Parts: sequence; structure tokens; C-alpha cells
Amino acid sequence: MTTIARTDQWSRCHRAARTEGVAAALTELATAVLPGLLPCGPAGHAIVPTAIAAGAARVWADGVTVDRGSAAEKALGVIELPGGDVELLRHQVRPGANGFSPAERAGWTLGLVWLRLGLSEELRETAMRYLNGRRTGNSTLLQQQMVKSTVADGLIEHLEVRAVLTGIGPGELPDTVLNHLHTQLTYADRALVKLLGASGYLAGGPGQVARVSELLAEAYCRPEV
Amino acid sequence: MIQLDDRLLALRAQVREWGADFRALGLALDRDPELIREHFDLPAVRYLSTMGIPPEYGNVPIPIAGNRFYGTLALERAIIMEELSCADVGMLVASPGPLLAGVLIDLLADEQQKDWFYGRMLESPLWTFFALTEPDRGSDAGALSTTVVPATADRPALLSGAKRYVGNAARAQLGVVFARTSPGPLGINAVLVENPSTGFHAEALETIGLRGARISAITMDEVEIPPERFLGRHLSPSRRGMWAFVQTFNLLRPGVAAIALGIARAAHEYVITHRTSLRRDECDRLDLLARRIDGARRLVHLAAAAVDARTGDGYLASAAKVRAAQLAHDATQEACTFFGAGARLEHPVLDKLVRDARGMEFIEGTSNMQKLNLFQGLFTGKLDREDPFRTAPLAAV
Repeated sequence: MTTIARTDQWSRCHRAARTEGVAAALTELATAVLPGLLPCGPAGHAIVPTAIAAGAARVWADGVTVDRGSAAEKALGVIELPGGDVELLRHQVRPGANGFSPAERAGWTLGLVWLRLGLSEELRETAMRYLNGRRTGNSTLLQQQMVKSTVADGLIEHLEVRAVLTGIGPGELPDTVLNHLHTQLTYADRALVKLLGASGYLAGGPGQVARVSELLAEAYCRPEV
Repeated sequence: MIQLDDRLLALRAQVREWGADFRALGLALDRDPELIREHFDLPAVRYLSTMGIPPEYGNVPIPIAGNRFYGTLALERAIIMEELSCADVGMLVASPGPLLAGVLIDLLADEQQKDWFYGRMLESPLWTFFALTEPDRGSDAGALSTTVVPATADRPALLSGAKRYVGNAARAQLGVVFARTSPGPLGINAVLVENPSTGFHAEALETIGLRGARISAITMDEVEIPPERFLGRHLSPSRRGMWAFVQTFNLLRPGVAAIALGIARAAHEYVITHRTSLRRDECDRLDLLARRIDGARRLVHLAAAAVDARTGDGYLASAAKVRAAQLAHDATQEACTFFGAGARLEHPVLDKLVRDARGMEFIEGTSNMQKLNLFQGLFTGKLDREDPFRTAPLAAV
């Protein structure tokens, strides 16, 4: 039953990323895996919705949990996004400060890939809607073969990432594989965002979501050494 | 992820063992594709010679861990194809058997036609062919121009036209030809043709790689087609032409993707076997390749399970085929970089892998065509955007 509940968590997080945006999906994931905690990556970076930034009493840094007041905190900025802003923070947490929870970390890292997959899939849908509404000659931009090919390339990345994730529970994929999936999603995002032309370069739009998605990987992935 | 059950794991292990013969003979067969005629007794060749024939027609394949695998499921074929192409893709595609034509027969033929076709395949190892592509029209089935003029009171139906890039046609004893009885999509028919037949000529084309496949050109000049050789004569026209080969290709595409996957794995394994000492950066590159192979395999297996669940569901198979074909290309090129300057000249197996991999781009439709198909599935909603693996029953979601 535990497995079913967890699977449902990733599913909700993934769906929220597709339908409600970054903030809602992060809230879904953090509430399910790290309730009451400020999730930070291995170098102490956090990208979280305002409510979590304001309400978390403790800091969780890549598996290590400490009281929030016991570590230096620095605000790095706020990014406005559809569906809610996110705040960028940095915490200084000493390694091994207060034990380590591999289960929490496994849940967070797996959920983050599902989350980014949802964002990337929504970017693909946004690009298709956008190009289906713009015309060239007698057809839409979406029906241009080069556009179709780019959409298909993005879709293939999504399908492979999803194939690797499907049926997988927390801790079953090593960091190297998770990092590889993040790389695939970044690759897909960068290809898909080109379909939006200059509109993908505007703050507050889908291009910004793709940028924040990359930053999530930057903040929370453990670099390979 | 599809977890292969014990039954499928046993199949994989057995076929992997059979593959040792293929690996040993691969280079020799590449030089002389007819060498396969001396190896009909190999277990893998014997298995392939009847793979896809259902049990009710008398197929009794060798038992594997207490099970008999008839090769009638796309997932079974994907496992078999990956293992044998990893061993040597040339031996795989050179082996006799019903493969493409057999899948079409299974979908389309009436009982009498199945008895005849499968009966001949069970008598002795025969090559078959599947002729759709035409010299000036490629595999655009809607535009095919080969004709079969219907019979009249004083003469049989007559088949005329040309086909190109047809695997094994030059040495096949029977096969399927797609031809038009009238304009429009409902005018397309598939007919069974025997070789030799008066007016039928097939010759092998020299190719850069996949030389075991004896990719051939066919000309047909008023080849007589008896009424019982019209496949699906008991079906409506809408079910026996375009519909039939779309379903056939959907069923076969995961297997083609698995062949490409096998080539990629062969390149990866070649490096591991022949470079015993690796620098850290080289280990990293090999690990990355292994992750790509594993990811592609998961997609191939889900695509196979999807078409097994519903033959019309070939969009995932398009994605798998594009992904695996690119992987085969990348993996074989990457493998060469582990052996310094002149690697392909010093390592004939590597050179063969590179040459074979290039063929995976066009077999069963180019990557561009697959991407257009995939896009269409997405655009029309036939590929479920919420749950693209919905029809894959083995997927533990």
C-alpha cells in the first residue's frame, strides 16, 4: 500500500506541474515528502514557493535537517511565474549536522524528475498551442514539417524519461541515472522553447518556467565527482 | 517500467546463449551473405525459421525453461531481436523465416492461406519477402503504382511493376507484394507470390552494411496470381490493404527498434571487452552510453507491449525506433573513439557495426517519417497525452 501511495504522490506532483505550474508542483512535492521543511540542495540552495519559504521552521539540505535559525540564510531573489512566484534562497548547512535521511532524499530526488517532466510536457503543449494559432501561407506553423520534427524530438525525450521512471520507487535509481534524466529534460526544454521564438524569451512566460526548471536541477542535483 | 517475468528472462538468457554462434560467424557472413545456407542447423537459425507461426498450425519450437515461445508477440520478438542483433545483426537478417510476411499473414490471411503459407514454412527453412517500397515512390503506400489487373473469364489476375529495397527477395521462395487493383486507398491489395514464377525477377543490391539482408530489387511482368493468393479475400477492402500493412508495421517496429538497440549494445560491449584498462573520462563516457541503452530498452519494451495490447497503437513504436536508430549510430561512432586513429581499419567488427547501424535509419521508415507519424499521433490525440503508456498492460505504473 505504501508503494501505491507514493506512486500517487509522484502522479499528483507531475499533474500539478502540467496544470498548475512550478509553485503548485513544488508545494505538492514538499508537502508529501518534506512537510514543514525548507528543501535545499547539496550546496544549500532552495527554490520554493513563497509560502514554503515563509513557513518552514527547519531546513533540509540534501538529506540533512537542521533548525532554520541555526544557519545563515541569504535571499537570492524572486522569480515571477504563471501560477505563483518562487523564491531563491541559500542556506549554509554543515554536512552531517543532524543525521541523514536517505528515504526523504530518495523521495525528493525522484519526485523532482517527475515534476520537471510535467513542466517539460506542458512546455510542449504550450508550444503546440502557440504554433497552432499562427499561420504561414495556407497552414499553421505547427503543420510545418520542421516544427513537427522538433515537437517529436521533445516528445521522444519525454517518453524515454517516462519509460525509465514508470514503476520506479524512491531510491531505486542511482543519482547518475536521475542526473541523466534531468539532462534529457533540459535538452528537451531547450529544443522546445525555441519553438516559441522571441515570446519564449519573455520573463513570466513559458520560457521562464523552462529556465526555473533548469535551475531546479542546478540546485538539487548532486554533482557527479 | 516493464519487469520481464521469469519466462521472458529465460527466453533472453537462452537467445543470448544462441547468439554466440552468430557472433562467431558475423564477419564471414558479411563477406559472403550466402554462407547462411551452411548454418541452418544452428539453434537460432532453426528458431527464426518458424518464429511467428502460431501453435495451431503445427509449430513446435524448442522449449526454453519449460516454455514454448512462438514469437507471435512483439515483446517476445523485441527480446529475441535485441539479443541476436547484439550477437550479429547480419546473421539475424540473413536467416530464413516468415518474419515480416508472417506477421501480415497472421493478420490478414484466411485459414486456407495460413495453412498453405505456414505449412511450407514448417516443411523446410524458406526465405520470405515483404514488398511494399517502390523505386520512385519509396514506402508511400498511398502512391504505389504496382498493379494487379483482375482476372477475366479467359485469363488470371496479372501482377506488374517494380519494388526496391526488399530484404531477402533475391533468395526468397515466397513473399507478399502490395499492388493496386484500382485507384485510391481501397484499391490496394496484398498478394502472395512464389519465386520462381514466370515474369518475376529479383536481384540483390550491393549495400554498405546489413549485407546479410540481401536487400533486393524486384521486377514483375504479368506474373499470374491465382485467386487463392489474394490475401484477406474474405475481408472487406478497407481491412486488407492500407489498414493491414499499417498494423503489420506497427507490430514489427518494436522489433526493428530492438535490432538497433542490439547493435548499440554490441558496440558498448565491444569496448568493454577489448579495452581492459580505461581512464576515468572513458569510464564516464561508457557509463553514459549504458544509461542511454537502458533508457531506450525500456521505451522499446513499453512500445512492444502497447502494440501487443492494440495493434493500431504504433506511435510509441515510432518513438522507440527513432530513439534506437539514433542510439545505434551514436554508440557505434562513440565506440570507435576508444581505439584511436584508424580504429575502423584495425577493428573489422567495429567497422561492421558502424556500417550496419547506418541501415537502421531507413529500415521500416526513416526517422523523419517516424517523427511525422509520432507527431500525428500526438496532434490527433491518438497518443494519450496524459498517460502515453496506458495500453501497455505489463507496465507497472
